[in-house]
Amino acid sequence: MNFEIINPSSTEELLGTIKSLQKEKFRFGAGCTDLLMELKKNPEENLTVINLSQVKDASFTGIKKTTNQFRLGALFTAHKIVINEELKINFPVLHQSALTLASTQIRQVATVGGNLCTASPSGDIACALVALEAQCEILGTTGKTRTVPVTDFFMGPRKTVLKSNEVLYSISVPVNNKLSKNILSGFIKVGTRRSMECSVVSIAYHIQTDEHGNIINAGVAIGASAPTIRFAKEACEFLIGKKLKHISHKEKEKFAEKVLSYAAPITDIRATAWYRKEVLFNISKSIFE
Amino acid sequence: MQQKNYSQKKINRMKKELKVIGKPIPKQDANIRVTGKAIYGHDIVLPGMLYGAILRTEHPSAIIESIDVSEAKKFPGVICVITADDVDVNNIGYKRDHPILKKGEANCTRDEIAAVAAETKEIALQALKLIKVKYKIRKGVYDAFDALKESAPQINKFISGKFENKNIAEKFHYEHGNLEEEKKKSQHIVTRRFTLPRMTHACMATSNITASYNNVDRKLLLYSSTQVPFLYQRDMAHALKMNPSDIRVIQPVIGGGFGSKLDMHPFEPICALLSIKTGKPVQIIYSREEEFIASPIRQPMVIDLTAGVDKHGNFTFREINIVKDNGAYTSWGATTPFVIMQAFSSLYKLKACRFNAMAVYTNNVFAGSFRGYGNPQATFALERVIDLLADELGMDKAEIRLLNANEKGEVTGQGLLYDTCGHKECLETVISKSHYGKKSLANKDSRHKRGIGLASMLHVGGGAKIYRSDGCGTTLKIDPYGYCTIITGSNEIGQGSETVLAMIASEELGIDLKKIKVINTDTDVKPWDVGVHASRTSFVAGNSLLGAIKILKEKLNRKTAELLKTSHPDFEYSENKIISLKSNESIALDKVVREMHFSQPNELAIASYFYEPSSKFQDKDFKGNVSGTYAFASQAITVEVDTYTGNVKVLDVYVAQDVGKVLNPLLLGGQIEGGILQGVGYALTEELLMHEGRILNPNFHNYKMLTASDTPEIHFYPIETNDKEGPYGAKGVGEAPLIPTAAAIANAVCNALDLEFLELPITPEKVLFAIAEKKRTDKMHSL
Repeated sequence: MNFEIINPSSTEELLGTIKSLQKEKFRFGAGCTDLLMELKKNPEENLTVINLSQVKDASFTGIKKTTNQFRLGALFTAHKIVINEELKINFPVLHQSALTLASTQIRQVATVGGNLCTASPSGDIACALVALEAQCEILGTTGKTRTVPVTDFFMGPRKTVLKSNEVLYSISVPVNNKLSKNILSGFIKVGTRRSMECSVVSIAYHIQTDEHGNIINAGVAIGASAPTIRFAKEACEFLIGKKLKHISHKEKEKFAEKVLSYAAPITDIRATAWYRKEVLFNISKSIFE
Repeated sequence: MQQKNYSQKKINRMKKELKVIGKPIPKQDANIRVTGKAIYGHDIVLPGMLYGAILRTEHPSAIIESIDVSEAKKFPGVICVITADDVDVNNIGYKRDHPILKKGEANCTRDEIAAVAAETKEIALQALKLIKVKYKIRKGVYDAFDALKESAPQINKFISGKFENKNIAEKFHYEHGNLEEEKKKSQHIVTRRFTLPRMTHACMATSNITASYNNVDRKLLLYSSTQVPFLYQRDMAHALKMNPSDIRVIQPVIGGGFGSKLDMHPFEPICALLSIKTGKPVQIIYSREEEFIASPIRQPMVIDLTAGVDKHGNFTFREINIVKDNGAYTSWGATTPFVIMQAFSSLYKLKACRFNAMAVYTNNVFAGSFRGYGNPQATFALERVIDLLADELGMDKAEIRLLNANEKGEVTGQGLLYDTCGHKECLETVISKSHYGKKSLANKDSRHKRGIGLASMLHVGGGAKIYRSDGCGTTLKIDPYGYCTIITGSNEIGQGSETVLAMIASEELGIDLKKIKVINTDTDVKPWDVGVHASRTSFVAGNSLLGAIKILKEKLNRKTAELLKTSHPDFEYSENKIISLKSNESIALDKVVREMHFSQPNELAIASYFYEPSSKFQDKDFKGNVSGTYAFASQAITVEVDTYTGNVKVLDVYVAQDVGKVLNPLLLGGQIEGGILQGVGYALTEELLMHEGRILNPNFHNYKMLTASDTPEIHFYPIETNDKEGPYGAKGVGEAPLIPTAAAIANAVCNALDLEFLELPITPEKVLFAIAEKKRTDKMHSL
């Protein structure tokens, strides 16, 4: 493992660095929790790593609440998600996904942007953000930004829509519906260990009801079940209008079947496709139990 | 007043009120370990040192047609490249069937083809890529039963061929009692086949060695993490065709042993050879991936067990056939049937036993020794079958165990003598503490099923006589400032032996712990010892130290009597002083030593002692009292199975262990907790997965070693049986906590789900599959 490293300390320096490297091979490193492992395994010749961890601008590292959304800078760490009370109350799914990520030590440096840009099908925070239908703000070297729904952010395993002259700037999560009194929100991660674990299957859900308990908004995403994290649109639509507290056994199974229709799992060293499907069906049901 | 004081002190002494032993004294090396001051093998840097790296085969089974190292040799910074053609060495391993560098053929994925020494580690690794090896790939044999077939090729060409099949590396046969007779007497007989996985030690410190050959005086200095420095010295000398005494072995701080460092592995003589060739120090340190691929494993095996019970619940017979996958070469691991047969022949009273085991060569990675030495495998099979026998009989699973539990004074069919035996007390304790059979294990809901399982274990507790001597030497000295140095043959691999030895010296000599040093890392300095294995260190090294203390005290007593002008030889050693029990007069210990050293007749405050346990070599039929004493333990474990995911959560582990005597509750607790977590991993998650000879998960990502957050609630109840042979009555404790854990967990999972599991680990996928299968067959039956 041998690479050049550049440490921009501001957004301006960062954009300049990206611009200057357009003809070179470069990678971004924020927490570097995946990158270093990857480069150790598959060293790349003549590689430059742009170390983002020295960029101190609040727009990259902080969190900002507006009337419509919570904006998390791409360098906001998993640990910061875990300790943020407002996120915990409003988006249990996001809180839980961050809390199950790796270990305390890794959460100190792992960033929300890194979890998205790694584009792993088993990304935990990424799965929660898909369920929350978050928006990705992408910054180009010209200084202009564009916004892409997180559901469209992933092109395949390890592939995103980011162009070579772009960097992920922030992730915005829409605030919950004002009418919403109840939210049923959580993240279920299935694996063998309780920490330092990579999801074998995961499901993120964020369901909102009106004052009568009728479901008015639902977001469900599945991880480690397909080449990318998937938003289970039909399963979400199936829930709209139903009373959250009175979902029948049949409806639970119907919902689980709809979730399962988005899964195209593989058999690998960690589990068989059969197991992943079986478990995904079971944990989908379990959301309403 | 003085008289009263004297008698009170005398009474105390007679009662042997212990001041240090039995106290929760922190590990003496804890400070350097947690502050990063400890010098591990990885931290060693010698002047002019080179870095070694090893090229391993690309194919688990292949003809090596040619090896071209010319490009690697030319690479800037490369000092030396060696292959089998460049060295004059002997084979290594327990059967001497293992070439250090392979020539002509590769037989397993670990095979060392060439080695490089270079100025930096990076250069060494780059140079490996320049070595061109031409292979002719062969179809390997990756299943021990396939290897036994007539059509199978001979995998290891270095064996004598003393067995009927060309691929048998080692065989064991044992029996006692009249098996056929006992079969007839049996009301129920259960037969099952159990399959056990490959588990790796995954020591936190990866394998490492630094070799420094002095080509002027032709002596070799090794900084090695071996657990058995004197056997290692002998093995290294044999491999390199050197005189053992020209090899000095120094052990840096060892970051985990667990049995993995009982054998000498090829990378160690390879490093020595690189140093011999270059005349410079050379260091080899494994990467984590290399550690997974190239360090030994717990023996995978298939156990066929048939066992019987009479109508009253008494165990009648056990018949055992074991096929172990030896891998391509034979290590100490092939001898695990020594221990396995003890569990089968002598755990619970048993009238007849017939035991056959063989280790079979395959093209898989070779097995080594691992904490428990075959016993976790045996105990899993045995305790599972006991549950099944109880079910057949309609008898309570606790009751059948209590009825058959071993007893004090028992001489087993194999000739093991249980002078002390806490088996029944262990069982009764965990049965009562876990409310076994009483506690309602109500399921939380229909999704989560709870169960409880019981298992016991028997293990050597006073060493194991497998070498000509199972002894340990100690040299003890006190300096003129009152500090004590224990030079012991035994060594520290993290188990806490330094602390226990210092505590013993402090107890007996009344010297502050801070003033006691333990020297145990240098074969040029320390007296002989077999090494750290078989949970023997506290027992054997402890007794050895007590022997040396006794001799030294006689010298000190003589001088003290002279200085205090008393003819009464009764002294107490306390608070760095020697106190006359008659006059209550005291004198500082350091003063006594100074008087010994510096006044005539000048004499050193030094003593040496060699302790040899009373155990015997077993005869050719494997009968005899092989250990100084025996340890027993029982565990009751509750689990909760998530039927949605197949995950098994271990809730509570109740452990009662016959430790003889608690020497240090803190260290003992550490052994218990660490052992249990290792046992939980063996039961549920840990497996080195292989496909056609290649390891599929050589990383912590996919090798599911458990972490602190997976630790269950552990309730530990030490049982003190005060063994007359052990130091203060203590027995060996190190391996025992791991041994019954997987068995108890398996029994608990079977209890929770009303299903049978015959292989480890019981992974979520296996659980879910079994549940699905049961649903399917239940459905079929209901149709």
